[in-house]
This record gives sequence, C-alpha cells and structure tokens, in this order.
Amino acid sequence: MKARILVVDDDEALAEMIGIVLRNDGFEPVFCADGGQALDVFRSSKPDLVLLDLMLPGTDGIEVCRQIRSESDVPIVMLTAKSDTSDVVRGLESGADDYVPKPFKPAELVARVRARLRPGDQKAPETLRIADITIDVAGHLVSRGDERISLTPLEFDLLVALARKPWQVFTRELLLEQVWGYRHAADTRLVNVHVQRLRSKIERDPEAPEVVMTVRGVGYKAGS
Amino acid sequence: MGSGSETPGSAPSGEHARDGSRKPGPRSAPEHTDAFGAGLARLPSQARIWRRRALIVVLRVARLVRTGVDRIFPGIRYLLRSLQRRWRRSLQFRTVLTTLLLSISSFAIVGAYLSNQIANNLFQERLTQAESETRYNVKQVQDTFDGAQVTDQSSVITLVYDTLNAVEGRGSVIQRRYVFEAMPEQTKPRNRWVESRASDQLTISVIPPDLRKAVQDSGKEQFWASTEFPVGTEDRPGIAVGNKVTFNGTVYELYLIYDLNTAQQTLNEIQNVLWAGGAALILMIGAIAWYVTRNVVSPVSHAAVVSEKLAAGQLQERMVVKGEDEMARLGASFNHMAASLQEQITQLATLSQMQQRFVSDVSHELRTPLTTVRMAAEVLYDARDDFDPINKRSAELLYNQVERFQSLLADLLEISRFDAGVAMLDAEATDIVQLISHVMEGAAPVAEEYGSEMLLNAPEGSVVVEMDSRRIDRILRNLILNALEHGEGRPVNISVASTADAVAVTVRDHGIGMSPAEAARVFDRFWRADPARARTTGGSGLGLSIATEDTKLHNGWLQAWGNTGVGSSFRLTLPLKQGGTITKSPLPLEPADVALGSPGDHSVLVLGPGAAAVPKDPAAGDPDAVDSAPAGGPDSGAAPATDAEPAAAARAGTPEAARTGKQS
Repeated sequence: MKARILVVDDDEALAEMIGIVLRNDGFEPVFCADGGQALDVFRSSKPDLVLLDLMLPGTDGIEVCRQIRSESDVPIVMLTAKSDTSDVVRGLESGADDYVPKPFKPAELVARVRARLRPGDQKAPETLRIADITIDVAGHLVSRGDERISLTPLEFDLLVALARKPWQVFTRELLLEQVWGYRHAADTRLVNVHVQRLRSKIERDPEAPEVVMTVRGVGYKAGS
Repeated sequence: MGSGSETPGSAPSGEHARDGSRKPGPRSAPEHTDAFGAGLARLPSQARIWRRRALIVVLRVARLVRTGVDRIFPGIRYLLRSLQRRWRRSLQFRTVLTTLLLSISSFAIVGAYLSNQIANNLFQERLTQAESETRYNVKQVQDTFDGAQVTDQSSVITLVYDTLNAVEGRGSVIQRRYVFEAMPEQTKPRNRWVESRASDQLTISVIPPDLRKAVQDSGKEQFWASTEFPVGTEDRPGIAVGNKVTFNGTVYELYLIYDLNTAQQTLNEIQNVLWAGGAALILMIGAIAWYVTRNVVSPVSHAAVVSEKLAAGQLQERMVVKGEDEMARLGASFNHMAASLQEQITQLATLSQMQQRFVSDVSHELRTPLTTVRMAAEVLYDARDDFDPINKRSAELLYNQVERFQSLLADLLEISRFDAGVAMLDAEATDIVQLISHVMEGAAPVAEEYGSEMLLNAPEGSVVVEMDSRRIDRILRNLILNALEHGEGRPVNISVASTADAVAVTVRDHGIGMSPAEAARVFDRFWRADPARARTTGGSGLGLSIATEDTKLHNGWLQAWGNTGVGSSFRLTLPLKQGGTITKSPLPLEPADVALGSPGDHSVLVLGPGAAAVPKDPAAGDPDAVDSAPAGGPDSGAAPATDAEPAAAARAGTPEAARTGKQS
C-alpha cells in the first residue's frame, strides 16, 4: 500500500514538483495550500506523514504543526526556507520530528520521508527499563508504575535507543544516525530539542533528569 | 607664717612696670569676694584623683589604639584609600572638606587673637585695680606706722601684725596677701623687733628677685610683677605690687599680692565659649557648604548619570530641566543632543532591521523557487540518458549550475547574516577531535578524487571545546576541502594541539602554495589567488570569509601562511571556554618542516603522493619553540613569522600582510 503524504505548501510550483518527486518514488501525495485548511485536509485524508512549510498564509506552519500534534502522532517533517536557529528550534518545539532546509535535493527529501515512515523493525516482545520507567517495545507502551506515558513514535524511538544500551554514551551524531536515519552529521539541535521534549514527558523533574542523563561534552545516556 | 629668708630665683620673673606716680588710691578699696572660695579646699584632692583616672584612661586608650592599629591596619588603609577615592571622585566631598579645613584654620587664627586680647584686657584691668589698691593700702600702713607709739616689743609686734592683717581685707575672703620684709643691708636699730611677716603660706621667695631689686633700689616708688603663689596645694597666678614703708627707723619692703584666679577662670570660661561657638560654627559652615555644593553638584551628577545611561544605550533618558539658570541651559542642550542622537541611532537601527528583514525575505523568496528549479533540474538530470546529446548536456549544465547557484546563494545569505549582526553563537562543549574525524570522513570522497591522503595528528583522548559545532564544522570542512583542492594530490596534514586555555588546528597542504601577499588577502571576499586559474570546485569565493566570521564569533584566530611551491597552512585557534581569550596559539602557524630547514631545501621540496610520511608534523616537535604571538588580530589573516629566518622575512605592503620565513 502506498504511503499517503500530506504536502502543506502555498507555493504551487514547489508543491507540484514535490508531488512529482514523491509519486516518482511511490508515495501518494495530498496537497493543501492554506494553513487554515490544513487541519481539515489532515483529518479527511489521514496521511501517514506531513510535509509542512513553515511559512504559510493564514495560519502559520508552527501553529498547524501544534494543531496536528495535539490530535495525532503522525510524523511531521518541516520544510523551511529559514535556517535561523530560532525558527528551526521553534518548529521542532511545536512538535515536528525533523526538518528539511530549502533548497533541498529530491533524494534528500525522499530520504527524510522514508526515514520517518520506516516501519519499526519487527519488534520482538521486549521489556526495557530505565530508572523507574518501563518500556514495552512491541506494545509501544511506556509507563512509570501504573501511570501510562504517551510519547510520539520519534520520542519512543529515542528512548528505546538509549534504553537498549544503558552502558553506552550516545553522541548526538550517533543518535541522529540511529533515530533519525542521518548518514552524515546533521543539525544536532534536532537531538537537543527532542531530548528536552522527551524529558518534559518522562522526567519527574526535567531540571534534574534521572532517565535521560547528559554527559557533558559527549552526549546522552540512559539513567540507571 | 612667713619667714625672713630670701630665696631668689625660685619665683618666675615677671615684667616690671614702673609707676612713678604716688597718688593715693581711691578711698573705697574694691572688695572682691570669691564666691567659690569655700570649694577651693576640696579641689586639690579631687584634682589628684582625676589626674590619676585620666592617666589610666589614657594608658588604656593608647594600648587599645596600638593593638587596634595592628589588627585593623588593612581596614585603616582601606578607609584611607576610600577617602582618597572619594576625594578624587566627588566634587562635593572635596569642596566640603576644603571649606571645613579653611574655616577651621581661620577660626583658629581669629580665636587665638580674640583670646589673647581678652586675656590682656582682663590682666590690665586687674593690674590697674591692684596698683591703685596697693597705693591706698601702703599709704594706710605708712600712716598707721607713722602715728604709732613705740613703747615695748610686744605692743609693737601687735601693732605691726594688726596693721598688716588689716591689709588682707575684711570678711572671710582674703582680698590681697602681703609679704613684709625688712630691707637687707641696713643698720639694725636696737628696738627693731619685727623682721618679717607674710600672709599664710607665703614667704619672701614668692616675690620675683627682679621686683625686689627694683623696690630696694628705688625711693618710695611702686613696682609690680607677675608671680605665682601657693594656696592650699595649688599654685595660683597673681600680681605682686611692691613698695617701701618705714617704721621706727627701719625700711621695710611691703609687697601686696593679688589673686588672678578669678580672671583666669573668666578667661577659661570665655575660651570655652569660644571653642564651643567655633565648633558649632564650623559644623554649620560644613553643613552650609554641603548644602550649597549639593545644590550645584546634584544637577551636574544628574547630568553625569543621565549621560552614562545614554552611553549604555538607554536612549530615552533625558535630564530634568527646571528654571532658566545655567544648569537649565545645560540640561536643555543636553536633551537636545540626546534627542538628535536617539533619532540617528533609531534611524540606523531601523535601517539595520530593514536590512535584516530584507535578507530574511530574500532568503525565503529565493529559496522556494530555487528548490523547485533544483528538483526539476535533478529530475531532468536523472533522466538525461534518455535525451539526445544536446538536451543531455543541457540537463547536465543546468544541474551543475543550479548547484553552484545554490551554494553561492547560501554563502551570500550567510555573509549578510554576519553583516547584519544577527549571527548567534550556539556554543556547547564538544570534542573537537571527534568533530575533525567527522569532517575528514565527509571529505574522504573528495580526497579520493584528488588522490590526496589526509593525515591527522591529534593528542590521545578528547579535546573538549566550548564551541558552536555547526560553525566549526563549516570552518574545518572549508579548510580541508581547500587544502585538498590546492594540494595537487599531495598529503594534507591536520594537526591538533591544546594548552590549558586554547586549542589549535592546522591544516597544511604541500601544493602550489601561495605568496605571502596572497596569504594576506586570502580571507577577502571573492578574492582569488589567480583570476585566470580554472575554478575546479566552483566555490563561491566566500568560504574563507565566512570561516573568518565564524571564528570571530568564537573569539578565535584564523590565520594563513603560504609559500609558493611549498604549500600553505591555515591555523584555527579557539579558546577552550567561551569568553576566554587566547594569548598564544598551541601550534606554530608556519609548519615546522619549513621553519627548521634552510630555504634552499624548501624551494625544491617535492613530495610525491606516496611520500606521506615525509613532512614532519608540527605537533610532533615542540610547538612552543617556534611559535610567536600573532601580529595581527585573528581577523587580519596575518601570518606572523617565526624567529627562524627573520632576516629573510618578506613583508607585503599592507600592515596586515603575512610574513613568512622566506621570499618566494
């Protein structure tokens, strides 16, 4: 079955071009050119992934991202013409999983889309623990005691990557490779923002993390 | 009881006033009665006790001060220094202090003069009174003696004693004391029964010898002198007035002594009042000076505060203008200046904001269509094998040039972001050795293409640097790709070394190199060593400029060294911690293999692709041995020469020119 991808971009030429490239690679694109209608189109089309331009007429991309994230865990990849730190970070903080800076190569775009659509490896029934957190990998469940914690797939992958090797310190580059699927070093802010979001959900006190620990100058590791 | 013996020299010598007139004094002798005479007897013992107590207190205070000074000497020094600082920095403090010192000294002068005048007047008054009283009393005594019947010894003695006692005055208070003494060196008649007589406690020794001599030598004239005489246990100041009386054929000296104690006490009281008044006056003058200077200084310091705030960027600060005086004029013109400054700065800020927004807008507006063009070009490029040769070549050209256009645009936008001052440092502690390995991995395909080898010489373990790894990655990628491009297939050496506060990375190639003049310009925008040279990698010409800006953001140095035919070397030096400064780079800029040999060797130094191990790595030697502090700033691109061959050092025309060990 073809994966359906919602492309939210007001530039028709670009949207069409993205459509050509996606179709060429075996995806089924759905288009929306207006931020205000993005949520309706999202609800009606039920895409497997959203490509979202950050600058949109009407409701802007960050707001759209927040709306979609509030009702779905579907992967969101931002298309951004601005590579300024604040814009990228704001986009990631509003719930996007990844971003592709314009101008991008078709192959780059497809790689990012595939990485986020990657069906989870055939997960064997497996239970992991970090600190007082229990992770049921096959069931995609995270809980502290009886309390369920809801994570997006990306945050779940991040947590599982750390939990599988609690003895290892993961550099940001390694996490980018394992969780996001980047071959070469990309923007490590991706990792920073998502670690912060993950912490805000699973830590008792995000200021004094016990589950995802920072190793100064190196990266992150699972807490014991 | 007085004695007849004379002890010259024991009494203080007084000044003498000769008074020739022998007019009888006024009939009514003034009767001074000291009201406090009764308390006088208790005073000596009390005074002794108080003196001892005072001594104890003084000793204790002295000890306290000594230990205190030892212990709080730093405190005192601090106090002195802070006073000095206030003196330097506060106009008001200086004015008030100066006013106080000047008024204290002028008051001291006036006070001394007044006190002296009053003392003189008091003395003169008492002296006049004493002289007239003496004249009267001496006459009384002489009259009594003249009319006396000299019969037997006891009646004579009684008469003389009674007469003399009458001189002391009536009442409980002694008005004047007397000393009565037969003049020496005269024939002694048979019936001279009285030799000498004096008031209680007095002897002839209280009379100054000069006065005695004057009285003895003269006829019946009156003389006076200042003296001191004992009352109880204390000595009191007094005036002694002397004359002669004759009794029964014998000439006697008669001295009347007047107490100056009351006058002294009056003087003391006046002086106390003067002191108290003076102290109050000085306090008031200080307060007035403080108030007046505050009135003048406070607008000035207000102006200073306001201008400091203005300088700190609070452009809306204004001075308060009141009235029409000089301060108001200053305030008004100051405000005018501030307003025009604010206007200019706001205008500039608006321009800068517009520039930033323009850059941002251009960025967005250009990137979106460029993305479409690029994707389209790539789709065409991927399908080029289906095209005829003309269309195929066109698709290839389109694809390549879009790539180039895109990288040029990216670099331009990056540079304009630096120019607009919106580039932010996103520093984080990261291992730079690992970062370099990443960059080298990324550059491996390019190295393979050129047939160059990349050799890393780094310390074991990690070198953690607080840096924006995105920017440092960009700098190093640029340097390494440049080295590969210009390395002519020869090895590229990358060295890392660190000290306690800095880390250096050098990227050294052994390619065509560049002249020192070229090395000086290599960081200029769009600068090309040889305009005619083919652009093989099609860089934008902004790479090193961006690297320079990135380095500047880190407070680091980026420097270039080059020598034609020998190769070039770029050195990036970064502080380990953000906010730190570099005093000395851990690595020499000029490669050690060049610096240590003779110039002749280097000009013919040729390294084949296989001779990877030949160039001696700078980090292997002692980096300090050949290092020198950079002459230019990190952004000047200047390459300071090592001391190896200073004589041959070639300087390019510009001050920021690179210097190298040899002329090419």
